[in-house]
Amino acid sequence: MAVEIPKDSWAGSVRVVTLGATPADGGTRSHTIMIGGQNTLPFMHFEKPTPHRPVIAVEIKDRRPEDWSGLLLDIWGDAANDPAAWAKQAEVAGADMLVLALTLTAADGNPTTPSMAVEAVKAVLAASKLPLIVLGPGQADADNELLVPVAEATKGERLALGLCEDKNYRTIVAAAMANDHCVVARTPMDVNLAKQLNILIHDMGLPLDRIVMDPTTGALGYGIEYGYSVMERLRLAALQGDAMTQLPMMVTPGFEAWKTKESKFGQDVPGTWGNWEERAINWETLTAMTLVESGADVVVLRHPESVRRVHQAITDLMTVPETV
Amino acid sequence: MYIIGENIHIISEKVKLALKERDAKFFQESAVAQVEAGAQALDLNLGPRKKDWEEVFPWMVETVEAVVDVPLSFDSTNIQGIEAGLKKITKAQPIINSTSAEPERLENVPLIAKKYNARLVALTMAASGIPVSADERVNIALEKLIPRMMEIDFPISDLIIDPLVLTVSGCQEYCPELVEAIRTLQYAWDPPPPISVGLSNVSNAVPAENRALINRTYCVMLMGVGLKMMIANPLDEPLKNTIRIIEERDASTAVGRLYLKLHDQVAAGEALAITDVDMKDPEQAAIWKTVQILMNKVIYADSYLQQASMA
Repeated sequence: MAVEIPKDSWAGSVRVVTLGATPADGGTRSHTIMIGGQNTLPFMHFEKPTPHRPVIAVEIKDRRPEDWSGLLLDIWGDAANDPAAWAKQAEVAGADMLVLALTLTAADGNPTTPSMAVEAVKAVLAASKLPLIVLGPGQADADNELLVPVAEATKGERLALGLCEDKNYRTIVAAAMANDHCVVARTPMDVNLAKQLNILIHDMGLPLDRIVMDPTTGALGYGIEYGYSVMERLRLAALQGDAMTQLPMMVTPGFEAWKTKESKFGQDVPGTWGNWEERAINWETLTAMTLVESGADVVVLRHPESVRRVHQAITDLMTVPETV
Repeated sequence: MYIIGENIHIISEKVKLALKERDAKFFQESAVAQVEAGAQALDLNLGPRKKDWEEVFPWMVETVEAVVDVPLSFDSTNIQGIEAGLKKITKAQPIINSTSAEPERLENVPLIAKKYNARLVALTMAASGIPVSADERVNIALEKLIPRMMEIDFPISDLIIDPLVLTVSGCQEYCPELVEAIRTLQYAWDPPPPISVGLSNVSNAVPAENRALINRTYCVMLMGVGLKMMIANPLDEPLKNTIRIIEERDASTAVGRLYLKLHDQVAAGEALAITDVDMKDPEQAAIWKTVQILMNKVIYADSYLQQASMA
């Protein structure tokens, strides 16, 4: 007996956000990346084709990070000392795009200056032609001080600038508006707050197709199911037609996974935990894939092997016969 | 609508201060103002008063009963304090607010209510917390609250079931479920048991300028499923006017007709349609958007009224 597979049909769809600009559009990227556009749940290709596959952004820093796992520093080697070299390596590792996260302080302990930030961003843009997301250090004053000159110095590149948060979004949004960039809007795992921040940013005049939301997540074993539910709920609302939730989502499984004890520690842990590096890569990969399944359009990763595995898994999900 | 006045509540800074100073005049003025505005009972939420319950609860009863005759509702988790207050009651049949279905409270609080011939508010909340679904809340009433009352021969007409209003800002999925819980609870007993809710909880954590609209829109919806009693602010004139519109079926204004339509649609188990609303009228458009968030059709955001409406 033939089984008929029920198919859902939705009133709404996710907006398409284009990241990066080619010379034809005033930038210097070799290509652009489009995210979003879905009008069904992830990988339900038999209902509606997925217009744009989820992309992998690799996180690099403007200088060698002091708080990253030794496993990550070993694998990136000397490249981690230089953002341009790191960008090239990340591209070789299979990154679809890059996230450059600026550090609060320079190597000498003094605050990172605007000119240092601009220099790092320009070096990355010169070294790799991938579309780029630039994140401030995560403190309101420093974010504003560094991101505004970065936005001006890269006018037309259509970067995504972040993180906009409810306490600090105006300056970043204004800089993005004035210089043809996009923004990343982050809220702490809460559908109401996510929607509210989208409304506030849109009210400033930034078109919705230049906003990517980061609803925040937890790593596997550290609240991922809560993050998953929030993303799922936002996506369902988008498909039901709620305009202020119809934005692509970016999440940071690399950051989350690499701060868990399972990834951080190779010594003094139970022997049954197995090989440290393999465990850490699994943690990052499984965190990322869970979020891809809940609707993430951009996952930000740290380890090259995780990049390879997640890329392969997404390729499989985009093509396996059961989903098409 | 039987309104239990909510304004003597320890969360208010003025109340906190007046209580600290044992300012009898403050409480007497509040009590008189609420009763004159139509409150048929007064809720006294004094907090647990762990240190001074022995003195505070009787003092409050004496103070308030000196100026009003309505039932007093003791809203506290401190059962010793409540009992001290009950002993002092000389006027109307008092109310205990509340018990829940948690075993320890359900064991003890109804016995106190019976001993002092008080009415008893019982929350549909079990040890595991507040269930989301209407069915689970109704089941708590049917399987725990009512059986316990029968066990101790407590009159069901003195039991007031509170199926618990939660805020649309953060607990949005609870909002439509409460409507259905109230609808079903009418069939829990014959005659239906009294049902009461704390209305303004629906707008906790909502910016002040939107609270009243959310409260009165939800009130209309709950009246649609038969709500006849609630803890609310009796000085909220727009709320009372809305209640009057429903009770008198006053269709003389466009907004009144929309509220009546909303009430009737909820009563019939139907959804209000955008075609029932004149979206060019800002007041009606605001009511429509509020219904959409209360029915969990559109995700709540503090600026939900600024968002273009979805058909």
